[in-house]
Amino acid sequence: MSAAGFLLEKFRQFAAEAAIIWRGESCDYGWFLSRFEHWRGFLKNQGIRAGQVVIFEAEFSPNSVALLLALIESACVVVPLTKSVRDKKAEFVEIAKGEIMLAMDETDQISCERLNGTGVHELYDRLREARHPGLVLFSSGSTGKSKAAVHDFAAILEKFKVPRKAYRTIAFLLFDHIGGVNTLFYTLSNAGTLIVCEDRNPDAVLAAIEKFRAELLPTSPTFINLVLLSEAYLRHDLSSLKLVTYGTEAMPENTLKRFHSLFPNIRLAQTYGLSEVGILRAKSKSSDSLWVKIGGEGFDTRIVDGALQIKAKSAMLGYLNAPSPFTEDGWFMTGDSVEVDGEYVKILGRKSELINVGGEKVYPCEIESVIQEFENVAEVSVYGEKNPLVGNIVCARVRLKRDDPSGDFAARLKSFCRSHMQPYKVPVKILLTSESQYSERYKKMRQAQ
Amino acid sequence: MPSDAGILEVLFATVDELNKELPPEQRLTKSEDTIVFGHAGKLDSLGLVNFLVTAEQRLQDRFGVTIALADERAMSQERSPFRTLATMADYVQKLLTEKGEVRSPAVGESSSQAHARESAGI
Repeated sequence: MSAAGFLLEKFRQFAAEAAIIWRGESCDYGWFLSRFEHWRGFLKNQGIRAGQVVIFEAEFSPNSVALLLALIESACVVVPLTKSVRDKKAEFVEIAKGEIMLAMDETDQISCERLNGTGVHELYDRLREARHPGLVLFSSGSTGKSKAAVHDFAAILEKFKVPRKAYRTIAFLLFDHIGGVNTLFYTLSNAGTLIVCEDRNPDAVLAAIEKFRAELLPTSPTFINLVLLSEAYLRHDLSSLKLVTYGTEAMPENTLKRFHSLFPNIRLAQTYGLSEVGILRAKSKSSDSLWVKIGGEGFDTRIVDGALQIKAKSAMLGYLNAPSPFTEDGWFMTGDSVEVDGEYVKILGRKSELINVGGEKVYPCEIESVIQEFENVAEVSVYGEKNPLVGNIVCARVRLKRDDPSGDFAARLKSFCRSHMQPYKVPVKILLTSESQYSERYKKMRQAQ
Repeated sequence: MPSDAGILEVLFATVDELNKELPPEQRLTKSEDTIVFGHAGKLDSLGLVNFLVTAEQRLQDRFGVTIALADERAMSQERSPFRTLATMADYVQKLLTEKGEVRSPAVGESSSQAHARESAGI
């Protein structure tokens, strides 16, 4: 059977069910099947063949999803790009050696352009030999150059063949992100409904949950924090929501506990995934716990030097533009530091973001979690700065909810920190900013200015 | 050019600010002979780091010049510039002189205004 064959069968079976809600309109699975056929014909007419590298510029929409399926069925190598990476588009097209550009505009109209890319790469050849579709995902590159992970799309889809619970799901994570890809195929393979939000600010997302009775919100800790801060939850009825999953970055413990105390009936579950290995199955100990069991069929995990390593069936083939990050025996070094308790692990943060203060380790997330609780704090990001005396010092950049006329905010915050953490963890520098500190993917940015 | 007295004033203000954060037994007195860091000094390494970062920010507010007190150069001095508040003031004077054109302290700016700007992260 073809890579997407099992999905098409599902669509036939559930032809009358709502597949995707976009701009308030619902499209059913039957409509989807016909659009899929339409786009298969389109690819053929355009002479787009198996193995070609297709840059696909789109956001979640009925036609973009149907066209994505057609590209998979045609065994193309798909490089999805969303407007969140518009600044890097030229760079990404070059790295991917794109041969064709398909762009779906805001009105769901397509344009097709031939590019100068050669599409030549050893990893692409492996896909072509197997006649498998490919998927190229770019890492965020917040700490250096973006890396392009090449996946065998057939391997990614494999795990969705196991039937699971269908949800009415908010498409929060983006089309060109491993989390967004996971949301999409989880929903389609179980004949759930994907709800696309016009905007991804807290009020727009919560309004969509209310209006379309969404049950599942896959999101990031940063977004949950913004929901709490904006008090958007007071303005919308969230009674349909059963499950909120969070991932893509470490969760501040206080944010989790606050959300859980406000919504004790919404289950909170951590997800764990990376562009390089896909999304693992994860089971949180409880809704207010950061301890999580990760793995599942097709994944093995181990801890080496306090950091998580993963061996995955669905792992990428490799990077287009960087050396292999796998150990010789095929384990992927995630770079995430973890604490271990029996079968459970707790994600502490990126090893690269760890701040070493005179030999003591400080994880930004832990400090942010405390500062977030202080009066008048809207947002905070904690990062390290080099210091010849103690190696590094802890610095915090804080955005306030309102102006602080007293002028001694920094001193009061330091004093608060001192009563809540060991001295070496207390930020030495506190800078106030009026700017948001998260990316378009609702992920915290921790670089120094 | 800032006078020694002007620099000492900034260092004393730094002491005031830090003392608020320190337990009574670690507080510093505002005197030129006060040991900042070293034998019989009260600050530990983190205390010193805090002192230096706070002083850097206050000096910048006062004189409009960014100087690095804690850097390799300070570490490699034959005698530590951080022995006492007086040796520290000398070291600051030297750094400011090297920076060349130093803006005079804003006339009439009170230390609380300077402090407000600092807390605002400016």
